[in-house]
Amino acid sequence: MADIIKPDLSVVKQIISSGGESLKKCYQCATCSVVCKLSPDDSPFPRKEMINAQWGLKDKLVSDPDIWLCHQCGDCTAYCPRGAKPGEVIGAIRKMTIGHYAFPEFLATMVGNIKYLPLLIAFPVLFLLAVLGATGHLHIPEGEIVFGHLMPHTIIDAVFVPVFMFAAIVFAGGVLRFWKNIHGQCNGKCSFASIIPALISVKLEILAHNRFRKCEVNKGRAIAHMGVLYGFIGLAITTALAVFYLYILDRHSPYPLNSPLKIIGNISAIALLVGITLMVINRFKVKAQAGIGSYFDWLFIWVIYTVVLSGILSEVTRLLGIAMIAYPIYFLHLVSVFFLFFYAPYSKLAHMVYRTIAMVYARKAGRD
Amino acid sequence: MQDILIIGGGISGITTAVEAAETGYNVTLLEKNPYLGGRVIQMNRYFPKLCPPYCGMEINLKRIRTNNKIKHYTLTEVQNITGNEGNYEVTLKINPRKVTEKCTACGECSASCPIERKDDFNLGLNTTKAVYLPHELAFPYRFVVDTKACIKCGACVEACKYGAIDLNMQAETIKLKVGSIVMATGWQPYDASKIDNLGFGKYKDVITNMMMERLAAPNGPTQGKIIRPSDQKEPKKVAFVQCAGSRDENHLPYCSAVCCLASLKQITYVRENIPDSEAFMFYIDVRTPGKYEEFYTKVKGDERVHLIKGKVASIEQDGDSLTVEAEDILSGNKLRVVVDMVVLACGMQPTNGTLNNISRDQNGFISQVQGNGIYAAGVARKPADVSSSVQDATGCALKAIQSVVRG
Amino acid sequence: MDKKLGVYICSGCGIGDSLDIEKLTKIATKTYKVPVCQTHACLCSRDGVNIINKDCEAEGVNTIVIAACSLRANQGVFAFGNDRIVERVNLREHVIWSQPAKNEDTQMMAEDYLRMGIVKAQKAQLLDPYKPAEEISRIVMVVGGGITGITAALNAAKAGVEVVLVEKQDNLGGFSSKLHKHFPINPPYQDLQTPPHEAMIKEIKANSRIRVYTDAKIEKITGAPGLFVVSLKQKSEIVQFRVGAIVLAAGFVPYDATKLTHLGFGVSKNVITNVQMEELAKNGKILRPSDGKQAKNIAFIQCAGSRDKDHLPYCSSHCCMSSLKQALYIRQQDTNAAAYIFYKDMRTMGQHEDFYVRAQEDEGIFLTKGEVVSVQPVAGDKLIITVEDTLLGKSIQVEADMVVLATGMMPATGIKIEVEETITCNPEQCKPEDIAVPSDVIIPSDILNLEYRQGTEIPQLKYGFPDSHFICFPYETRRTGIYAAGCVRHPMDIGACIDDATGAALKAIQCIELTSQGKAVHPRVGDMSYPDFFMQRCTQCKRCTDECPFGAINEDEKFNPLPNPTRCRRCGTCMGACPERIISFKDYSIDIISSMMKAIEVPEEDEEKPRVLVFMCENDAVPALDMAGAKRLKLSPYIRVIPVRCLGSVHLVWITDALSKGIDGIILIGCKHGDDYQCHFVKGSELASIRLSKVKETLDRLRLESERVKMVELSINEYSLLPGIFSEFMETMEKVGPNPFKGF
Repeated sequence: MADIIKPDLSVVKQIISSGGESLKKCYQCATCSVVCKLSPDDSPFPRKEMINAQWGLKDKLVSDPDIWLCHQCGDCTAYCPRGAKPGEVIGAIRKMTIGHYAFPEFLATMVGNIKYLPLLIAFPVLFLLAVLGATGHLHIPEGEIVFGHLMPHTIIDAVFVPVFMFAAIVFAGGVLRFWKNIHGQCNGKCSFASIIPALISVKLEILAHNRFRKCEVNKGRAIAHMGVLYGFIGLAITTALAVFYLYILDRHSPYPLNSPLKIIGNISAIALLVGITLMVINRFKVKAQAGIGSYFDWLFIWVIYTVVLSGILSEVTRLLGIAMIAYPIYFLHLVSVFFLFFYAPYSKLAHMVYRTIAMVYARKAGRD
Repeated sequence: MQDILIIGGGISGITTAVEAAETGYNVTLLEKNPYLGGRVIQMNRYFPKLCPPYCGMEINLKRIRTNNKIKHYTLTEVQNITGNEGNYEVTLKINPRKVTEKCTACGECSASCPIERKDDFNLGLNTTKAVYLPHELAFPYRFVVDTKACIKCGACVEACKYGAIDLNMQAETIKLKVGSIVMATGWQPYDASKIDNLGFGKYKDVITNMMMERLAAPNGPTQGKIIRPSDQKEPKKVAFVQCAGSRDENHLPYCSAVCCLASLKQITYVRENIPDSEAFMFYIDVRTPGKYEEFYTKVKGDERVHLIKGKVASIEQDGDSLTVEAEDILSGNKLRVVVDMVVLACGMQPTNGTLNNISRDQNGFISQVQGNGIYAAGVARKPADVSSSVQDATGCALKAIQSVVRG
Repeated sequence: MDKKLGVYICSGCGIGDSLDIEKLTKIATKTYKVPVCQTHACLCSRDGVNIINKDCEAEGVNTIVIAACSLRANQGVFAFGNDRIVERVNLREHVIWSQPAKNEDTQMMAEDYLRMGIVKAQKAQLLDPYKPAEEISRIVMVVGGGITGITAALNAAKAGVEVVLVEKQDNLGGFSSKLHKHFPINPPYQDLQTPPHEAMIKEIKANSRIRVYTDAKIEKITGAPGLFVVSLKQKSEIVQFRVGAIVLAAGFVPYDATKLTHLGFGVSKNVITNVQMEELAKNGKILRPSDGKQAKNIAFIQCAGSRDKDHLPYCSSHCCMSSLKQALYIRQQDTNAAAYIFYKDMRTMGQHEDFYVRAQEDEGIFLTKGEVVSVQPVAGDKLIITVEDTLLGKSIQVEADMVVLATGMMPATGIKIEVEETITCNPEQCKPEDIAVPSDVIIPSDILNLEYRQGTEIPQLKYGFPDSHFICFPYETRRTGIYAAGCVRHPMDIGACIDDATGAALKAIQCIELTSQGKAVHPRVGDMSYPDFFMQRCTQCKRCTDECPFGAINEDEKFNPLPNPTRCRRCGTCMGACPERIISFKDYSIDIISSMMKAIEVPEEDEEKPRVLVFMCENDAVPALDMAGAKRLKLSPYIRVIPVRCLGSVHLVWITDALSKGIDGIILIGCKHGDDYQCHFVKGSELASIRLSKVKETLDRLRLESERVKMVELSINEYSLLPGIFSEFMETMEKVGPNPFKGF
């Protein structure tokens, strides 16, 4: 039975404008599918994704788990004879897919476009200023620097828990729709019961970075990503500890530098900083072969930088006792964390969710 | 005063020279090799008729031998061109052959020579003596000393009864006045070792298409037996990798226009030579324009010939065989074929030169009109097969004549 | 001319070490009473050549036999002017390099070759170039005013030649003038360009050397190169003029799209051809034929009726580029329009790849490989295209507003597909087996209307394209002085047409130049011999007119041959064909070869030294034998080689003569024939094999075994097969035993 396809020029334009400008250069030689060490033998990627994207077949693309199996090593881009940069194009397709599954979609459009960046920043800034204003904290507190003086933990929780919940709900909606789309391609092997063990093994694989290690051109990518991922995990643990300290032990910040919470937190922050810096260095190093990445990628990098640097600097300036700098930086830190979480379902961070799902699918469907 | 100078003595240059001379003009033909014939003379057969290039070349050489309007210089390079249409002055450097016209090609010198050198005519697949006859149909039919290899021991000088060897012969510079100039400088095969994922230079049994021509040639290093360079065994499975460095921004961005047909032709060599052999051709697009389609259909009809759409992106050695990997695009699956030998269909790269009055396009080919009196013919101008090059070269003869008529 | 022979024997290159030179000298001076005979240790040296020159001057030697190396060596050294006959005896490659030194058999071989050479020199006559009674016309006629024709005309005129340009339409430009734009044919191969014809037509009009006839049709062409007479009908007027050579640039016709109903042509108005697309684009906006609305989605179907065994089996070379170009038309008209291209293989050869890259930069051009199965109209004037084996899936359907079929080219010469009746011999004169000579395919396409005995147009190979020995010598057709160029010859784009036309123009000018000097054109360029017919003995059997591969010989109403020496390529096929042996060349005749054969000394039966005569094509087989010698391959000492111009010139009488003289066997070695023929005279080796199939009858009559005569096809580079070919034949000779006619 013939497959009725609806070529869509607007989809092509969308991919081109969001980092896939080289998309149309592909002439389907399939060098990419072969040089990609992550690509399975059975209907490998990214060659087929390239033609689907060239024809603007959005339905096929957003329900294609393979785009998430790509770890953007850039091997395909390095060997592409036509300069079509499949790695970058797949990145753009992922971005489109994140937008497709996110709700409301306009937020995704805004996250993907640099011209909305001021607006995106303005929202948390104004919101948090309003919160400070409303709670009477719109000034630099006197005395010893305690960030809780600027924004007490109750307010923090009142703001960030809903933000987190919002992101989680948006993610859940996206994940469900995504799973529905890919489920059909699983040949009945993706029963709900079998997903949990698959999920666990995928998580372990993600932690081990086995897939990243297969990258050829961008060999440093595994270590960099590991730094970022473990940094985030460490910070998550730190946050959980903080909750434990605060609500169970009733110990309030600031904590001494030798407290386990501080140690884990600082090490994680440094891991994140090193990881993200390596990522930037790698990108420049393999720019010519593997591509530099799109705005979408870079926005994510800069947000992480802002989060980690503002976190470290607020700690340092606090310890140095420079209130005039410490508090504003802390405020910046809060803004960036807000930014990171609130926009997570629309940003590159969403990959951690969709990639995990896709890898589960791949494991079940025997495509890894 | 000569009417037309032709730079390059391959099939294009020879054609321009004889066609112009037979139309009544005086021509000078230059060649940097010690023999005329260029690249085609290294081919085993032409597609699609599978006939030997020697056949047409013999007719062309006869046309040169019997026409006193053609002067030819081998081992000669152009150093400088000045002037304009109708009145060019060209400086030539004639490198020493070290064997004079007295040579009767009896071969005594070669028999006495103690030095072996890599045979460039056979792309280094075998050796010759340092004083050698380039090939059976070499024209001029005279021996030549490889200046780099020769140790000047003088054995050949003693062996030659005709006093034809002069090991102290020096390069000579001469000036020539001509009315128009035809650049027929041809091409060189793309350096396959630059394509790092295809294993040339790393694995002995990965060879280029030009090497395959010599392997299959009855006058080649193996007398026409197709064998693997590594162990001299007959390869039963041979993969042909199209666009090896062609249509590729990282190498040659253009298409060389002949490689598909050349590989189809070489598949016939393998199939004819080794009856139980199998051939695999990996392509992006099969480019057999015009009537050549028939040849494609014919070769494709052999059930032991497999054509796979998908570019080979990886070649790995595994024991004494090679694994060639591509995506079989039409089935949508990756394919790994284990073969005994791989032939890389390497493209044509225009011979570059240092003459400053020659302008080239983005791919290094010479633009057709250079001022008024300088023209380009054959592959110097565009990648082309023999037949198109001959057409182009014939037309170029007329263009050059027009310059002489005007000048 | 009173001949004075001089025989010069070289003892260099080991000849003197291998042979008894003195004995050879005696053959010249004693047996043949040659007045001058000298030997030299290195005849090709300045000193050696001086001896000959001195004898020519002082002794009046005018017929020179050089017994040294191959004819192919030192050809320029042993050139003594057109007023002297030079005969070369190859003692080096053919004798001492392939035979043991100081051996009786080797000596006998050398002696035989020397005798043969002397006899040939005695018999050969000085050449006298053909000079027709009428003056040679130096005008080039170009048939067809498309891009190929106007290029040929202009380039010939620019070289100072008078040109007549004939076009059947009322204006010049051909298909080029129908194009909106052309894809790039010059560096940097990026942008669409204006078709080149307009500027060229202006130049043609301004050039006083070019006479243009538009709205004109050729009624008749008679004559031969240098002497053609053309009758032209322009409107109702008949014009007659003489021309020297012709460029056939009749172009192509697009493949008939009405045969492509499976692709929707004729079914829906919105399915058009690439030619119609150009018209739409040229007229301004590209609108859908059914309702005049702008089409948003346009599908291009490549190879529509091309590369298809049910339609045109070949590829038309330009369609991929043309569709990419037309896709750009659509995109330039409307940035929201989409062009879908379904191709089998994207064939953008050479630097055209750059244009493919350029077209791919356009976001609205959608490309996939695929085999289009059907195009069906659906509601809303839309079309559903079903495509299989695509890069997007096994089978897909796409909807489009309009479909463009990339139809291919058919040569104008291939249009009337009704093969002319095979002309056979005069039934009273010839035996039934003579009819076996295959006749040529000549489609009466009403273009040249040649008054040639063998048909009115140029012979065709496949698919109606005019023939051409198309690798090394692409311009050679089998009608001397008529050169095909452009799409009539091979499907090609405008850039290739321009190149091709320029070359064809040169060939036309060259043909006139050589003809005016009484010289042959390719492949025996410069040969001044031509066939002479001894008409008194002609039996009007029509063999010569039938078999000439080049249609050089016409007939009168009584079937008398009417030779046209300027059409002749001097292969001698007519000579080999004539049963009455009335055709000869001054330096190549039945008698000369027969005399050479007679000069061979055939040993008595009890000597057990068989003799095998080998007729070898001098273009390929003889050079192969030279190379075998140069490689020092050992050959049978019992062979005696006679080089021939072409196996087509081998007369059966030579075979019977040789056998009746006691020669044990005969081998003919020539070029491959068939579809991939290598014969430079196209049909020579094929005709030889046909004739040989009839020699059996003669052998039966002589009560001789048919194994005694054999034909071998050999390529020039297969020299290493020669020792085997000869030794195998010698084994056969041993089996059949000596020729019983020995000693008669």
